[in-house]
Amino acid sequence: MRNSAINTKIQLSSAAPDLTRQPNNQKVRTPTPNNKKNSVKNKRKNLKDRLKIFRVGFGIDTPLLIFTLALVIIGLIMMFSASYVFAYAQQGDSYYYLERQSIFAIVGVIVMIAVSYFDYKKLAQTRIFNRFGIPISIVLLAILLLVIVLIVGKDSEGVSRWIRLGPLSFQPSEIAKFALILFLADYTSKKAKKMDNFKTGVLVPLILVVAFCALLVLEPHYSCTIIIIMLAAIMLFLGGVKIRYFIFMAGLLGVAIIVVNFTVGFNYFAERLGGWGNTLEFESYQQWQDTWQTRNSLYAIGSGGIWGLGLGQSRQKYLYLPEPQNDFVFSIVCEELGFVGSTIIILLFAILVWRGITVSMRAEDLFGRILGTGIMAQIGLQVILNLFVITDSLPNTGISLPFFSYGGTSILMLLFQMGIVLSISRNSFSEKV
Amino acid sequence: MNNKELNNGNVKKKKHIKGPKIRLWHRTFVVLSVIMILFLAVIARIGYLQIVQGESLQKSAINQQVRELEISAKRGSIYDTNGEVLAQSATVWNIILAPIYIKDDIEREYIVENLAKILDLDKDDLMENSKKKSYYVTIKRGVNKDVKDEVLTFVNGIKDAIKDSYPKNSKGDSTYSNTNIGSLIVTEEAYERYYPYQDFASVVLGFTGSDDQGLYGLEYQYDDVLSGVNGKILTTTDTHGVQTPFSYEQKVEAIDGYSLVLSIDETLQHICEKYLEQGIIDNKVANRAVAIMMDVNTGAVLAMAVKGDYDPNNPYKIMDEELAAKIEEIKNDDERAEARYAAQSAQWRNKAISDVYIPGSVYKVVTTSACLEEGLVTKDTTFTCSGSYVPFPGSASIGCHNRNGHGTQNLKQALSNSCNPAYMQMGNLLGVDNFFKYYKAFGFSSKTGIDLPGEAKDIFFTTLGYYGGMSLSDLAVGSFGQNFSITPIQMITAMSAIANGGKILQPYVVRQILDSDGNVVKTTETVVKRQAVSENTTSQLAEMMQYNATYGTAKNGYVAGYRVAGKTGTSEAKRDANGDGIKDYIASYCGFAPADDPKIALLVYFDTPLSANYYGSAVAAPAFAGIISEALPYLGVEAKYTEEELALLDTVANNYIGMSVAQAKNKISEDGFAVIVKGEGANVIDQVPANGEKIPKGGTIVLYTDEVSTDDTVVVPNLTNMTLSNVNRVAALYNLNISISGMPSSSSGELLSYSQSIEEGTSVKEGTVILISFKENDEVM
Repeated sequence: MRNSAINTKIQLSSAAPDLTRQPNNQKVRTPTPNNKKNSVKNKRKNLKDRLKIFRVGFGIDTPLLIFTLALVIIGLIMMFSASYVFAYAQQGDSYYYLERQSIFAIVGVIVMIAVSYFDYKKLAQTRIFNRFGIPISIVLLAILLLVIVLIVGKDSEGVSRWIRLGPLSFQPSEIAKFALILFLADYTSKKAKKMDNFKTGVLVPLILVVAFCALLVLEPHYSCTIIIIMLAAIMLFLGGVKIRYFIFMAGLLGVAIIVVNFTVGFNYFAERLGGWGNTLEFESYQQWQDTWQTRNSLYAIGSGGIWGLGLGQSRQKYLYLPEPQNDFVFSIVCEELGFVGSTIIILLFAILVWRGITVSMRAEDLFGRILGTGIMAQIGLQVILNLFVITDSLPNTGISLPFFSYGGTSILMLLFQMGIVLSISRNSFSEKV
Repeated sequence: MNNKELNNGNVKKKKHIKGPKIRLWHRTFVVLSVIMILFLAVIARIGYLQIVQGESLQKSAINQQVRELEISAKRGSIYDTNGEVLAQSATVWNIILAPIYIKDDIEREYIVENLAKILDLDKDDLMENSKKKSYYVTIKRGVNKDVKDEVLTFVNGIKDAIKDSYPKNSKGDSTYSNTNIGSLIVTEEAYERYYPYQDFASVVLGFTGSDDQGLYGLEYQYDDVLSGVNGKILTTTDTHGVQTPFSYEQKVEAIDGYSLVLSIDETLQHICEKYLEQGIIDNKVANRAVAIMMDVNTGAVLAMAVKGDYDPNNPYKIMDEELAAKIEEIKNDDERAEARYAAQSAQWRNKAISDVYIPGSVYKVVTTSACLEEGLVTKDTTFTCSGSYVPFPGSASIGCHNRNGHGTQNLKQALSNSCNPAYMQMGNLLGVDNFFKYYKAFGFSSKTGIDLPGEAKDIFFTTLGYYGGMSLSDLAVGSFGQNFSITPIQMITAMSAIANGGKILQPYVVRQILDSDGNVVKTTETVVKRQAVSENTTSQLAEMMQYNATYGTAKNGYVAGYRVAGKTGTSEAKRDANGDGIKDYIASYCGFAPADDPKIALLVYFDTPLSANYYGSAVAAPAFAGIISEALPYLGVEAKYTEEELALLDTVANNYIGMSVAQAKNKISEDGFAVIVKGEGANVIDQVPANGEKIPKGGTIVLYTDEVSTDDTVVVPNLTNMTLSNVNRVAALYNLNISISGMPSSSSGELLSYSQSIEEGTSVKEGTVILISFKENDEVM
């Protein structure tokens, strides 16, 4: 039954998009408009409706699920292949990273499936204590955690990014990213018609973005700051903010950068660039040391050639490429699987983003569309930034590769967000069925 | 797809939905397009890196991953003829620093300070090295395992030792970290040359340099053979240099060097060196001494000793302490370095082949051979000596060492008297052409070609403007071996020819070359270069020389039972090397034994003896006799004694312990010894000399009968510089036995003792046998 339904959906999605909007709301939106007697009953039913947070809809979008699971599995395999030498050298256990990542991936997949059964619309509709919507609550939670991490999270290098809870630790910045997407999706969909207004479209969101960015700069966590800014820009762009306001905000960002540069010290950003663009030649020990990781990433990628050295055959992972389980996992993928293999994986990411966005765009409400697109844009953005970093096209700032890089919070949050997109997918194409 | 998406939006725009939704469609399309374009850009970038730049990046990566690990070939050993190790390579370690991995000055300071201490290095030098931007600086070579282990322990402890010098983070941990610390100091296996006998045969063996390359001696001559071929491994390694499990490892095995088996016999070499050292001390020899022993039938050098040599384990150390101290006193740095270098070069020099000397009277055997061979003289030809001789009309008179003249002598007597006038007469008989002919025939005009580096050329007369152009006065002095120079190796080769029936042989020191498994790769064959003179001639000479060594001027080289044939030589070196204002002399003795069936030839020569008697017979002959007396028994040559010799020969003491005193006395007188009884006991509990020990015929045996008496000792008196009768008288006073074994059986001149086997002042038991050496103190050329 379900299979046939899915097949139909796929056919429809590619064949006749205009049909998708056709017979609206038959199942979803129509509470039977009965007579007055039923008003109490209706009220109860409304309450029941409100409490009914699970929703199967028309079933999830199977291709999206398959792409996601495929990337999770390939990611695990490649992360293991890239990391076992380093894991053995660092932890004395080749499976150290694989074991931990696998647990998070399994939990993440369960969470994803579970979340897909929730009705994403409740995220916008539900109010806590009848007052705060969930989006603003999560924003407040994120801010709280970002403040907490500044207080308790300092690590050996003076950076505070992690909050430790017993054996586990997580990054509040991951929650911040989601909070931003959720809030702006909610905000822009509710205020859709006022979004070209400066106050609504720019000022209010800007307060949130500045708050997040300030806290992230204090950590410091520049890569996440950059992602937050870019995500905010995408969300506001989708939300309908006028183009000229973007120019204004870009100017503001420029001023902010200059201010930071001068307050923290001259050439601060230049130093952060750490020899970027001059990776293969080096003059000083410092520079040689700074560009070590990127240089060895390039060596790894270049060594792969067209067909790669074969799975498990990377040489650069033999301690030349530091921490190959993290941001630079894809360098080892390139080395082992070559241009062909790495292109296939990149295309898989692209198809995932494509599918996620197109499926989201078929959601029945504006909130779902913007939320799904935002989530998928975030994933796409991270993939692209990561790949630009490992190919030395951008400075080495520390952006992980979704589903591939080691990190529990990261993969959990990613799969949770994929769960939301899948939930949205249950509501897509509703018109056509 | 993009177009479709676009149409999508357009269609919707037309149909229903207004404002925000249509804007969302548009903008989503823009976002999606940008993302997809960026994905394509990423793929393009990766494609560029992998396909266009792939090769060069991979090359860089491989450069980084692949290390060429050299496998040092083990240098071959050098063995004596019996397989005794004379030179060997042992595993040592080189310490290599990768200064590029040093993180900062705190680390540098700590490492330099401690490494300098462990490796005994100059701190400033090491500091300089530690600042190089290099992965590979060899800071110390050839440390042993203990030092290597100490270095590795130190490296492992660096982190703990210096982490407290760094600020702490919030958790109280040190902020110090250096992930490359493991690659900072590496040890590399190498080999070091080791010479177990130290300053032994060193001028022959030579030594190696810091890269295991031969610099002198056999190490230099046979460097190619000994050094082998280094192998290498091309392998991928991780950053710590640990091999990674990949299959493209390439290995070229090292081929260990071949080993040399010398013809030199360690025992004979030791015997020679011992007597040279003693001779140098006894005769205050200023300019080193040489002994060469040759197997007369093969040309194999059995011993080649040069004293005033060095320890090849530490060749740069100047062995002459006095000289070394004098050099250190030189203030000027350049002059001191120059003096040090000169002293080093001098001690490295193989005097046996690299330095020429004037052969003096030893050359008379060649003159004699030439005259016999040419039929100019027979053994009955007589020569008259009046104490001096005018070799040709108009020449000045040239004196004989015996100013009174030797009178009329036959050939044998002329040789035994080492009579210069007789030899000037022989020179005249020979003429210049024949003289030069036999000079060449005996191999003095060309290098012998021995397999050792640095062989010198002779210096012969060029008076007439060409090599061999002798004047008549040259002929006169040349006939008794003056005014031309040859090398010791040439002399011993010529002497071997006289011993072996006239064959000039190719001398050599390497008997065999073995591969690393011990298989023989090459064996040196005996090469007869030419017949210098006939066997008839040489057999006559052997007889004359034996007479000379028994009764003549060469009798200090006599060894009872071993039929020595010998000739002394004393020559003016025509220089004053030590700067004492007295012309230097060279005292030499050359001969062979046994005369009736020659086995070995031996040349002993002392350069510049500063003792009062600098003559060959007094300086070189005793050393020659000493060497022969030990070498021939070792070589298994049976002693054949004449009646006279037997009378003087030592016998051995029998056992008398356990007998009653009376029994013992009877037995002792039966055995032909005198007896002295010590103590009050009834039975003999000890005796000197002990059972089986040597005792001269008719010597005294001391019997001890109780414990108290066994403590009686006597202090050995000085027994040197005495005549035989005086030695016997003094020894009798002390109840000591005197062995004079090896003394010439008859002598024309006065014999004086010159050494005693137990030093004056030593406490010994009565009855102890002391070996006394005598020599004739005549001043004979």
